[in-house]
Amino acid sequence: MPTTEPREKFIVPIGPQHPALKEPGHFEFTVDGEIVTGATARLGYVHRGIEKGTEDRSWVQNLYLLERICGICSHSHALAYALGVEKLAGVEAPPRAQAIRVLVAELERIHSHLLWLGVAAHEAGFDTLFMYSWRDRETVMDLLENLTGNRVNYSANVLGGVKFDVSVEQADAIRRGLDFLEERTQHYLTVVTTDSMFLRRTRGIATMSKQQAEALGVIGPTARASDVPRDVRVESPYAAYTTFPVEAVLATAGDLEARFLVRVKELFESYRVIREILDRMPAGDLTARMPRRVKEGETVSRIEAPRGELFYFIKSGGGDRPERVKARTPSMFNFASVLTLAVGHQLADIPMIMAGIDPCFSCNDRLVVVNRIGHEADVWTWEKLRQYGIEYYRR
Amino acid sequence: MNPLIALLIFPGGLFLLLLGLAYEWVDRKLVARLQNRIGPRWFQPFADVLKLLAKEEVVPDGANPFLFLGLPMVALAGALTAALYVPLAGLPPSYSFPGDLIVTVYLLSLMTLCIGLGGANTIDRFSLIGATRTLTQLFSYEAPFLLALLGPAIVVGSWQIGQIAAYADTRLLALTQPVGFVVALIGLMGKLEMPPFDAPEAETEIVAGALTEYSGRGYAMFRLGKGVELIVGLALVAAFYLGGVSDPLSFFGKTLLLLVVVAALQSLFARLRIEQTVGLWWRYGTLLALAQLLFTIVTEVMV
Repeated sequence: MPTTEPREKFIVPIGPQHPALKEPGHFEFTVDGEIVTGATARLGYVHRGIEKGTEDRSWVQNLYLLERICGICSHSHALAYALGVEKLAGVEAPPRAQAIRVLVAELERIHSHLLWLGVAAHEAGFDTLFMYSWRDRETVMDLLENLTGNRVNYSANVLGGVKFDVSVEQADAIRRGLDFLEERTQHYLTVVTTDSMFLRRTRGIATMSKQQAEALGVIGPTARASDVPRDVRVESPYAAYTTFPVEAVLATAGDLEARFLVRVKELFESYRVIREILDRMPAGDLTARMPRRVKEGETVSRIEAPRGELFYFIKSGGGDRPERVKARTPSMFNFASVLTLAVGHQLADIPMIMAGIDPCFSCNDRLVVVNRIGHEADVWTWEKLRQYGIEYYRR
Repeated sequence: MNPLIALLIFPGGLFLLLLGLAYEWVDRKLVARLQNRIGPRWFQPFADVLKLLAKEEVVPDGANPFLFLGLPMVALAGALTAALYVPLAGLPPSYSFPGDLIVTVYLLSLMTLCIGLGGANTIDRFSLIGATRTLTQLFSYEAPFLLALLGPAIVVGSWQIGQIAAYADTRLLALTQPVGFVVALIGLMGKLEMPPFDAPEAETEIVAGALTEYSGRGYAMFRLGKGVELIVGLALVAAFYLGGVSDPLSFFGKTLLLLVVVAALQSLFARLRIEQTVGLWWRYGTLLALAQLLFTIVTEVMV
């Protein structure tokens, strides 16, 4: 219902259930005719209490729990966690394991970016591009399934290494898949940069200057499209990115077209790195020995997920389970840019602006309990949190 | 033929409704194949409509029930009445009088008007925006569409569809008036809110646009009406520009050919924003159609 402020506003609600959203989130866009004059967001529909859940599970069990934070970048979460725990325990995974980790991470980036390309095209009403990019995405999904046995939650990591090796046949299958994908990606690059009807919907829309991007703190491809050179793989290489370096793909325009350009070009960079890894795969073991208990201490672990920097804080009390795991996921830091950039644009551009950051909702949701001064600190147990969740959603 | 039979059973009415659904299937299947999808089975549109007709129709709070239930009927009736004046399935128009071209074009617009009013009648915000866009779009394609249909009328010197169709039967006007042909075909896509002119029902923004609140019978009638409008529109364009539709073979052949073109155009483009649609029509569509019309008038006067 329109609010009862002095001048009645016309608010278009998007979500929690809306065809433009694949996951629940709630956005309210105040419009004047077709022009958006204000935007607010409300998240928190899919809070699952995973961070709290990690405290009740062993180091190994958490690997599988954390992988389920996101269905698209599942490997990124497991990788960030595994790297962090290994750092805490003073264990280094063997080079071959690190290379396979990067291999899977890049395959995951390919599948995520192709998925995004389709979704973003769909938001612009360009369903043909949507269908074709998703068809081609099946290639990389099949490669991942062939490699790991799973299409979504690959479970490639174990603490101290990886679970499987890459055989010569698998490597050949990947190379063949990449040849096909490279050709298709070249075509998509042509489409997103030359299709005049599509450019009408992307060029000059939601332009974010470099200063704005830095002020809003955006990360990942969204930032790189505004010429902010922020890529963890380049800044502080982890796993095998030291031996197989990547280059950050940058664009200067900062509009939606640039975001398309950056993500599509990143695909080529992924193809190149994967080929290089397959050609120069280090020999050796797949796992290093990992102690059951991890030394007391705390650490941070950063990796570049498909959507941007994924940051893990892990604290160990010296036992067989973590004391605290904090995941800082990339989408959260890009949402502010949507709310800022939406103002002044047409309502029709909103789904594209929203898709432009490649949002992922379920990894955003957090529960924050604020202790007021004078009140005693309150410890929330898993059981209490669960009960709270049940009560919260019952309303 | 008895006008009542023509209106209710053949070539209008029941036959037209079924044909509309069949053409809708052809369109959906073609678009799906062009998009590398499997597409629906042949009876899918029939099943959809049957299911919708059997469903309860929910009148939302805040809507005038009389209007809400009445508008779909008016829309379908308008489209079916328009079919009376159009040569269908190889037969001459069932009913004809001088100036029926204008009546037909406005009966076809009745559908869009009803959709717009149906959306504006509810208090749903998606419907309201959809209704605004539907009516905005109406004002953008209507003039060029009419101008494009007037081109052949001026050549013939009659505003009677039957006479124009008879004249165009032996002449391929698409060659002499190519601009008019293209504008008429694309205008028809705008009228039917097909991509890339589907801003009024852009699902990623405003769910189902003006028809968001419609379910059950009302929605089924709008769907049927659109099917009828598709046939009538294709028949008009084919009769005027593609050398006539005086026998069943050329009627089905030519309208299906046009449908293939329409399906290809649908899968080729990204959706236009509403202000881009209006800009496109008034900056290019209308001007080109006007230029074509002027050229036609001048050559007619000279000859």
